[in-house]
Amino acid sequence: MSTSWSFLFDLDGTITQKEILPIIAKEVGLYEEIQKLTEDTIKGVIPFHESFLKRVELLKEVPVKVVQDIVSNVPLNEKTLEFIEENRDSCYVVTGNLDVWVGPLCNYIGVKSYTSRAEVEDGFIIRVTDVLEKGKIARSFEGRFIAIGEGNNDAEMIKEATIGLAYGGVHSPANSVLACASHAIYEEEQLCRFLRQLL
Amino acid sequence: MSVSKTVVINCAGVGSRLGLGITKALIEIEGKPLIAWQLEMLEEVNDIRVVVGYQADQVIEQVLKIRKNVTFVFNHDFLTTGTAASLSLGARYAQGMVISLDGDLLVHPEDFHTFLRYPYESIGYCIPSTEDPVLVNVVQNGSEEFISHFSREHGNYEWSGLVQMDATKLSMTSGHVYQLLEQYIPIKAIPVRCQEIDTPSDYDAAIVWVQNNLIAINSR
Repeated sequence: MSTSWSFLFDLDGTITQKEILPIIAKEVGLYEEIQKLTEDTIKGVIPFHESFLKRVELLKEVPVKVVQDIVSNVPLNEKTLEFIEENRDSCYVVTGNLDVWVGPLCNYIGVKSYTSRAEVEDGFIIRVTDVLEKGKIARSFEGRFIAIGEGNNDAEMIKEATIGLAYGGVHSPANSVLACASHAIYEEEQLCRFLRQLL
Repeated sequence: MSVSKTVVINCAGVGSRLGLGITKALIEIEGKPLIAWQLEMLEEVNDIRVVVGYQADQVIEQVLKIRKNVTFVFNHDFLTTGTAASLSLGARYAQGMVISLDGDLLVHPEDFHTFLRYPYESIGYCIPSTEDPVLVNVVQNGSEEFISHFSREHGNYEWSGLVQMDATKLSMTSGHVYQLLEQYIPIKAIPVRCQEIDTPSDYDAAIVWVQNNLIAINSR
C-alpha cells in the first residue's frame, strides 16, 4: 500500500457529477417529486433515512436493471476517478444509495464500497433491508482517514474523520457538513491536488 | 509560470480592534475586499489555503467569486485560539515550503514575488508603522540579512507577518506566530513594502497605500 491514509468518498455529487436519484427519476417521469426530496435531504431539512425510503418507494416500480443501466451512464468526475484508480487499495465508496442500483457503478469504480441494501425479487425491489449509517462505517476505520462528501448524511462520517472534507464541486455542501468539516474544496482539480499531498 | 509552494492566508479572526463587525478579509478598500487584493497577487500560486473562522461562509463566498481552486481550512475555535493555531491548521498536510500571509496584510506585489521566488526559509520585515508592532532585529552577515530576534519592545524593524517555512515546522496550537518562529532564528530576512490593518487609522492608511502601491502599479 502506497499510503497510510484511507480515503472515504461519498458517491452522489462527489464521484458523480450529478445526484443519481433525480436522474433515475427523470428517466421514469418522477423528476419533480424526487428532486424536491433530494434537495431537502442534502440540505438536511428531512432526515436521510426517511427521505431515502420515500424515494425508493417512488422508484421501486422501475425494474432494477433499468435503474442500473441509467446509473452506469451517469457522468463521473474523471480526475477524482483517476485518483481512486491510482490508489485503489486505500479508497472506499461510502454511499447511502442501494447496492442493487449502484452495484455495477461501484464495480466499475473498482474499490470496496459500503451501501444501503435492498432485496430484489423478479427484477424489482421488494424491500430495503438496511439504510447505511455513514458515521458507523467511519467509526469502523482504524488509522488516519479522510472523508469526502457534501450531503447532510455525510456529516457524521466527516465529523469522525481525521480530515473531514466538504466537497462543493457539484453543489454547495450542506450547512451541517460545513459546521464539522476541517476543510472545504469547491473544484475537482484542487481536491485531487490536496489528496495527492497526503500520499 | 505557476508556483508549487503553499500559501496560507489566515482569515479566521474577528478583527475586533478594527471594530467594523466584519472579518478583515471582507473590508472594502478602493472598491474591492481586502482578500481580492491578496488573491490578485497570488494568481500564479496553485495551492492557496484560506483559513476561515468568523463569518466563514461569507469569506468562502467572496473567495469563490474570484477563484475556485482554493482549499478552505476551518478554524472552528477561532474565538479562543490565535494566529499560530490558524497557521498550523492551514499548513497541516502541506508538503515543502509554506508561506504565511495574514489576512490583514497588504504586500507590494513586486516584493511578494521576490519573497515567493526565494527558495529557503525567510521572514519579511518592514519599516515600523503599526501601533502595536512585533519588532525584529535585522543583522547583516556578509551580503545577506538575518532576523536575530523578535521583541515587543526593541528592534530596528517591524515583522510584516510574512514568513516562509517548511510545513513540518509550523505546528503550534496557541500563541502568536512569532513565538513559534523564535526557535528557528536566525532566519533569512527579506525587506517588503506592506501595510497591515489592525485599527481604524491603519484602515485609512491602507486606502492611501492601495492607491499609491497597487492601483498605481495596475495602471502602469
